[in-house]
Amino acid sequence: MMKLTRWLPTITLWQVVGICLLPLILGCPPPADDENGLEGTETGSATSASSEAAAEEEPDVLLEPFDPPPLDELEASVEWEDQPVLDAMELYRKYKAEHPPLATVEEALALKNDSPEANEKILTTLGQPPASESEVDYDAALRRFTPLDIKSSNPILGSSVTEFEVNDLTSFGLFAFDWNFYPFATAEHVKSWQSSKDRLFDKVVLRDDLVWSDGKPITAHDVEFTFQTIMNPKVPVVAVRSGVDELKWVKAYDDHTVVFFHKESLATNVWNMLFPIIPRHAYADSMKEDPSLSKSDYHLKLEQAPVCGGPYKISSRVRNQEIVLTRREDYFMKDGVEVRRKPYFKEIRFRVIEDLNTALLALEKGEIDDLELNPEQWDTQTKDDEFYAHNTKAYGVGWGHAYIGWNLNVPFFSDKRVRQAMSYALDHEEMIENICYGVYEYGRGVYHPTAWMAPNPMPEPYHQSLDKAEELLDAAGWTDSDGDGIRDKEIDGKLVPFEFTITIANASQTGIKICELLKSNLDQIGVICNIKPTEFTVLQEQARNHKFQAQCAGWGTGADPASGKNLWTTKAIEQNGRNYVSYSNPRVDELFELGEREFDRDKRAKIYGEIATILWDDQPYTWLYFRSNFFAWNKDVRGYMFSPRGPYGYSPGLSALWKPK
Amino acid sequence: MTGEENVIDPQGEPAPTPAGPQLAVIPKSPGFWKEAWRRFRIRKLSMTAFVFVVLLALVAIFSPAIAGTKPIVVKYKGRLYFPAMAYFNASWENPIFTQDKFRKRYPKNLEEKDPESWAIWPLSFNDPYRRVQEEEWPGRPGNPTQVDGKPSSLNWFGTDQRGVDVFAQMVHGSRIALLVGFVSMGIASAIGIIVGALAGYFGGWVDTLLSRVIEVVLCIPTLVLILALLAIIEQVTIWHMMAIIGATRWTSIARLTRAEFLKLKQMDFVSAARATGVGPIRIMFRYLLPNALAPVLVPITFGIASAILIESSLSFLGFGAPPPNPSWGTLLSAGRSNYQLWWLIVFPGTAIFLAVLAYNLIGEGLQEATDPRLRDADG
Repeated sequence: MMKLTRWLPTITLWQVVGICLLPLILGCPPPADDENGLEGTETGSATSASSEAAAEEEPDVLLEPFDPPPLDELEASVEWEDQPVLDAMELYRKYKAEHPPLATVEEALALKNDSPEANEKILTTLGQPPASESEVDYDAALRRFTPLDIKSSNPILGSSVTEFEVNDLTSFGLFAFDWNFYPFATAEHVKSWQSSKDRLFDKVVLRDDLVWSDGKPITAHDVEFTFQTIMNPKVPVVAVRSGVDELKWVKAYDDHTVVFFHKESLATNVWNMLFPIIPRHAYADSMKEDPSLSKSDYHLKLEQAPVCGGPYKISSRVRNQEIVLTRREDYFMKDGVEVRRKPYFKEIRFRVIEDLNTALLALEKGEIDDLELNPEQWDTQTKDDEFYAHNTKAYGVGWGHAYIGWNLNVPFFSDKRVRQAMSYALDHEEMIENICYGVYEYGRGVYHPTAWMAPNPMPEPYHQSLDKAEELLDAAGWTDSDGDGIRDKEIDGKLVPFEFTITIANASQTGIKICELLKSNLDQIGVICNIKPTEFTVLQEQARNHKFQAQCAGWGTGADPASGKNLWTTKAIEQNGRNYVSYSNPRVDELFELGEREFDRDKRAKIYGEIATILWDDQPYTWLYFRSNFFAWNKDVRGYMFSPRGPYGYSPGLSALWKPK
Repeated sequence: MTGEENVIDPQGEPAPTPAGPQLAVIPKSPGFWKEAWRRFRIRKLSMTAFVFVVLLALVAIFSPAIAGTKPIVVKYKGRLYFPAMAYFNASWENPIFTQDKFRKRYPKNLEEKDPESWAIWPLSFNDPYRRVQEEEWPGRPGNPTQVDGKPSSLNWFGTDQRGVDVFAQMVHGSRIALLVGFVSMGIASAIGIIVGALAGYFGGWVDTLLSRVIEVVLCIPTLVLILALLAIIEQVTIWHMMAIIGATRWTSIARLTRAEFLKLKQMDFVSAARATGVGPIRIMFRYLLPNALAPVLVPITFGIASAILIESSLSFLGFGAPPPNPSWGTLLSAGRSNYQLWWLIVFPGTAIFLAVLAYNLIGEGLQEATDPRLRDADG
């Protein structure tokens, strides 16, 4: 139950590398389940489960003591380079100006999305930002839905999809990235950003016209305080800590100047600075009594009505029913002057609807404004006039992918030939065309062909060939030597039949169907595959302990390919890594090191391309498909665009949405 | 109570009549069970239900002959094989059909590899576990998928989203439904009757203790227990579920047995047996149990119905037997995500409804056929 795509919406995404990889569950989203992610809306629990992995077994002290040098000393020794300080909305406008609409709004609204051309027309036309402010209905409300209520409204405690979505609207951050995953400092909050040549230091100067929702100014000290809080082992920070823990120190030198100290000179350092900021004045004293930040009466009150630094604040929260955010006038107005762009919606409501069929009905009735669709809904339930009466829909390429991971510690799968045989055995065409409704793209490794780090040449997807699978199994020594119809091999003097179990999240209907397909394919060549649907948290636990033979799951996409080191390096087998299949290849380890230390994006692309090629050859996973994103929007909504992680997982994302008058 | 002596007499033989041949021969009055059967038979609804259950059992037993892609009998390279038995146990399929690129696909391979071969095929060429591909059977199109899978001449009850035939799944699923009912209630009756018999016959502290145990078990929610156990057991099978259902569903049987025993043990024939030195075990199971059985049969029949429901709901929730699991509940759950596929709801839903109704009708019929008060009222 969790969803991949929408978990990081707008302006400031702090999700950094670590959590960017959200294990998804594959499957469809029936009421409470939903695939974990492979199709539709994942609810929050998977996300939180996955991020808990990072939090477990933290040492008592997370921070090495460090005495930051005085600013003059730093200035004297460091050569600064200016870094981009951008307004995401401006970027978006510019991009849209270069990609003019292919139809008029009326045409686009009348279209049925039944071809790539129609999809293109709908996206280019309805994705346009308002031509002028007078077009925007600033009194409008955006009515969204969430499959799960938020557990905490404190941005640093967030771990579920919905929590990140809400926090992105209500909290304050310094950095963001666009739909191409280029990071920048947000011009709305930051005056200047400079990095040292070796990327060891980052100096950020905050704007001086920023206030919290209680009227107190937002300062650099809040940034330093937030860093200290996130790294405080007593504070139950689950997801946000990953990435931040790669920082050495954060120091506020005056009210507006803050310097980030990094441990190593890496190209990926910028991603560690994407965390949400919390107000020091609200938490500094109370934190001592209640480090959980959520148990004392005072903190419970703050949970209900937190002090927000972002464009919206939480105005009401009814458990398991609704969260209402309202626009903050003091966010964009200062002394009667508009100092920032006025957010397009007066109100943003999140209604809790657990059942996806109910959510679809609500959308059709015009009660909610957007909904992520799963392939089944896209293909069969949103084609009629009833749907198009109030809504339209569109899809975009997604980089998230589903896979079956082969545990290399298991005798069956330690041999590359066996893993390749598994990939050859699966009827990929049947999987894509029938099980996935023909709406996903064939799996071609870790990077999508449209990704900047995709290998050249891009590997061709596997197609079923039972002949090749049998040849490879024979070559690997798995033959039916005792004539019982099942392949076997002598290991340590014992004849082991080729019978293994594949675990899959029980909520993932698509995943289970794919496993059933694989089972019947393998049955034809004398391999027995059992399927064990498992509770998602149990699945995670088994994955972390490497206690599985094969596992069917999925990954979202990290903003930077360096996040893959958490999946593929030898180091990541232990140490809270997510190399669940225990893949180890010295060349891959080396390439990930190189990739982090190379600052030039083209050179990095080559390095990561080589990694993808090696992984494809080794097939530690059988890559199943890339998970495209499908969304439906009410016809009143404008301004959406897909990034490889969905329409909201970047900047401006959700904050670019608007409704015309 | 005419027939009871026959049952009570452990020897089963009427005592030799001392009377001589001068007496007219009195026709033997019908036995208790015979009488009950006679009364059951005249109840039309219960009889219909009974016939339905028998039919269902036949479908379950002959499921591989009704729907499948493996021939029932095949003559291949000079020998006879029964590949359809693989639907009961995968290892019963001869390895010769895996080797040499035969790959368990019969229609074309049989012809290619041995033109002399012949085969008897199931009624419906459809597999409960996978989609039938195009040209797998010469000239037959592949099964349609998704919303195209409406009921047709090839797929009598339509196909599910994957293109797997619904009829084949239901036929093979009936095996699960029946097995679950019988096996789990078999376990439950064994436990329930023994516990109830001990408690009822011995009374005293044994009764107190066992009654408390019954109350404790009564409080355990079966579904929750099953969910918990599923998390622990490595490779869950349908047998685990039956065992759990059986191990939690015996309480009502035990209570009824206990009540019957409490009543019956006061009867004169028990005192007589005791006086002649018959041991307690023998009294319990040879003298008392046959008399107590009639009321106990009723909760057993209802129990079968509820076991079928439990299995269906578990499968519906995705906690059933490991996939591929062609159970009726699984089909229903597949239909839940898309109401356009009405055939995924109507057919399995009807099957569950009818099976449960049938068992309930049988139970009710049994109750009325064996309950002396009701019997005398309508007699």
